[in-house]
Amino acid sequence: MYFIQHIESISCQNTFGRTNFWNELKPLDSQCALLSPDYKNYIAPNTLRRLSTILRIGITCAKACSENINKDFDAISVGTSLGCLTDTEKFLVTINTVSGDILSPTAFIQSTHNTIAGQISLELKNHSYNMTHTQNCLSFETALLDGMLCIDEGKNNVLVGAADESISFMERLRGNLIDTPLPFTTLGTFFVMSNQPTNQSKVALLKSSVFFNKPEAETIENFIVNHTVDAVIETGDRFLKLSSNHSNVLLYSGYNQSASAFAFHLAVDRLTYDGNLSTILVINNLDKGKLGLTLLQKHVS
Amino acid sequence: MKIFVTGIGVVSAIGMNVEEALLSLRSQKTGISKGTQPFSERFMVGEIPYSNAELMEKFKLKDFSSRTALLGKIAAKEAFTNHTLHTQIRTGIISGTSVGGMDVSEIEYKKFLKDGTDSLDAYSHHSSGTTTQQIADELGITEYINTISTACSSAVNAIMLGARMLQSGQLDRVLVGGTDALSSFTISGFRSLMIFDENWCKPFDEERKGLNLGEGAGFLVLETEQSISKSGIKPLAILSGWSNASDAYHQTASSPEAIGATRSMKEALSVAKLSPSDIGYINAHGTATPNNDLSESVGIKNIFGTNIPPFSSTKSYTGHTLAASGGIEAVFSILALHHGMLLPNLNFKNSISETGLTPIKEYSEGNNIHHILSNSFGFGGNNSTIILSKV
Repeated sequence: MYFIQHIESISCQNTFGRTNFWNELKPLDSQCALLSPDYKNYIAPNTLRRLSTILRIGITCAKACSENINKDFDAISVGTSLGCLTDTEKFLVTINTVSGDILSPTAFIQSTHNTIAGQISLELKNHSYNMTHTQNCLSFETALLDGMLCIDEGKNNVLVGAADESISFMERLRGNLIDTPLPFTTLGTFFVMSNQPTNQSKVALLKSSVFFNKPEAETIENFIVNHTVDAVIETGDRFLKLSSNHSNVLLYSGYNQSASAFAFHLAVDRLTYDGNLSTILVINNLDKGKLGLTLLQKHVS
Repeated sequence: MKIFVTGIGVVSAIGMNVEEALLSLRSQKTGISKGTQPFSERFMVGEIPYSNAELMEKFKLKDFSSRTALLGKIAAKEAFTNHTLHTQIRTGIISGTSVGGMDVSEIEYKKFLKDGTDSLDAYSHHSSGTTTQQIADELGITEYINTISTACSSAVNAIMLGARMLQSGQLDRVLVGGTDALSSFTISGFRSLMIFDENWCKPFDEERKGLNLGEGAGFLVLETEQSISKSGIKPLAILSGWSNASDAYHQTASSPEAIGATRSMKEALSVAKLSPSDIGYINAHGTATPNNDLSESVGIKNIFGTNIPPFSSTKSYTGHTLAASGGIEAVFSILALHHGMLLPNLNFKNSISETGLTPIKEYSEGNNIHHILSNSFGFGGNNSTIILSKV
C-alpha cells in the first residue's frame, strides 16, 4: 500500500488548495478557462515571467505539496503526454520566421518534456531521482508505477504527478486525430506518496497497472477481483454498468491526456470526505486499446 | 537478482549495425562530417547516410513512421535478433527520445504556417510515446510500453527503469535504449544555445568549443536469470549498477562542483557493490561543451581521486545523439568489455587546464577490463550513470 499524504490540482475547476470539492463540480462548458492560483505566491517574478502555464502548474503544485509535508522528496516522477506544447510551438514559429543567426533559446530549453520535473527539482533544490514519463494517455500511470517502485525500493515521500497543456492548434486536429466534443483543457495533478500512513493520509493506493491491447472488460474484471468497488471514475462512459456510482471525469476535466491524474485526485477527495465510500476504481481508457487501472481505498490510521 | 544483457543493437553515423560500429571504432574512423540536409548542411553532424525511404527498403520496414521511430526499429530489431516472443516471458520495451516524431511534425507545421496545406494525419507520428509504440508494434511487444523523456540522459534512464522492473518481478525481459533523429528543431535549438563546434568536436580538450549533433539509436535486451533459462540465450554482459540524481543548479548548465554527476556515479557504484578502483574504463558523457566536460571532469575527480581510470568520450565518433546517446554508448561499452577495448577520445590535444586530466589517446584491445562506467547527463540537471560488467 502507498499512502497519499497530500494532493493538489490546477484545473478548470476550483481545486487548488481546496479539499472536499468533489460534490461541487459542474460539467465544463466550451468557454471554460483554467482557474489559476496566484503563482506569485510560489514563484519569483523573474522566473515566473518566462514560464509557460504547464511549468507554472508543475512548480506550484509541487511546492504546495512540499510545504505541506515539510520534508524533502526522495524521488520525483512526472508524466506528460504532449509535454510543453506552448514553448514547442513558440520555437517552431521562431525557427520559421526569424532570419539570421540569433535565436532566443528560452523556448527551446523549455520545450523538452522533462522541463516540468526539472524545474521542480531546481526550485526545490532537490537532488534526488527525477524522471519524466511520456506514453500518450498512459503517461500518468507509467509515472505512478515508477513512483510506487521507488517506495518499494525503500524511498519515502515520493512526488508523483502529471500535466498536459492545450494550445489552440489542437482545434485543427479535432474530429480527425482527436475525436471528442469536449473542450481541450490544460491541467496538472501532483501528490506525495509515503510508505507508511501519516496523520494526514486518509487514502491508500492499493494497486495500479497498465495494459496494452488486452480485452477491456475482462482485464478490468480480473483487476478488481477480491475487491468491492463502491464507485468508478472513468475517462469516458463505456463502463457505466460497473457501478451505480459512476462518473466520467472528462466532463469535469475537459479533454486532457492526463485526465486520469485528475480522476485520481477526485477519487482521493471523495474517499476522504464521502462517508459512504470505501473503494474507488479509476479507469483510464482514453487511448483506444490502452488501459490504465488504479484502485484507491479509504485508510484512516 | 543479476540483470543480464542478452542483446545489443545500434545504428549511428559510424555504422548501420554492431559489426559496422565495431569496425569504425577499431579503425578510429569518425562518422561526423558536413550535413547533407537543408537544415544540417551548415553544420558538422553525425548523420546516417540514408534517407527514410532507403532505410525502409534496406531494413525491410513496411510502415511509414518518423525517422526517430525508424532508427529505433532498426536498432531494436538487431538487439532482439536471437529472441522470440514467449507467453511465459513477460517482455516490455522502454525507449528514450527527445525528438520523437518532430522530424515529421516540423515539416508539416512549416506548411501550416505558409499556406495551411499541412497533412493532419502526419501529426499522428508526433508524440514521443507513439515513437515507442511503433517500435513495439514492429516487434510484437505488448506487455509494457513506456517512453522516457529526460533529454540526453533518456536512454540510460530507460535502461535503469528496465532493470528495476525486472528486479521487482514485473517483467522478465525488456528492450531498453533510446533513439533520436536529426531535426531542424534540435539543430536550431542547439544553435540558439551557441554550443556547436564548427569543426570536429574536441571532448575534454582545453580548446573545446562545443558539440556536434548526431542521430541514431541503441538498444539492449535485459533479462533475468530465470528468463534466460527459458530462452536459452547466452548473456553478453551484466548490468550491475545504475543511478539517477539531480544537479538542481541551472536549466542547462551543470554545477561547477558536479553535484548531480558525483551523486549518480557514487550511487551507481554502490548499487553495483563496487569500488572506484574496480572500474576499468569510463565512457564519459563528454559532449565537448566547455561546461559539461569541466563539470564531468570534476565529478570524475570527486569519485576517483588520483586513481582515474582510462576514460574517453565516443561522441567524437558519433556526434551527440541526444536521447539515444546512453543506448548507443552502452552498446559500445559492451563491445569494449568483450574485446578489452580502450576507445580513444578523438581530436584530443591538450588537457583542460583546470583539471589536467588526459583521456585515452590511442586505441588498444586486449586490455583487462571487468567493469565499465557510462555517464549520460541531460538538460535540466538530469544525471545518470550505469555500470556494465563482464559475465
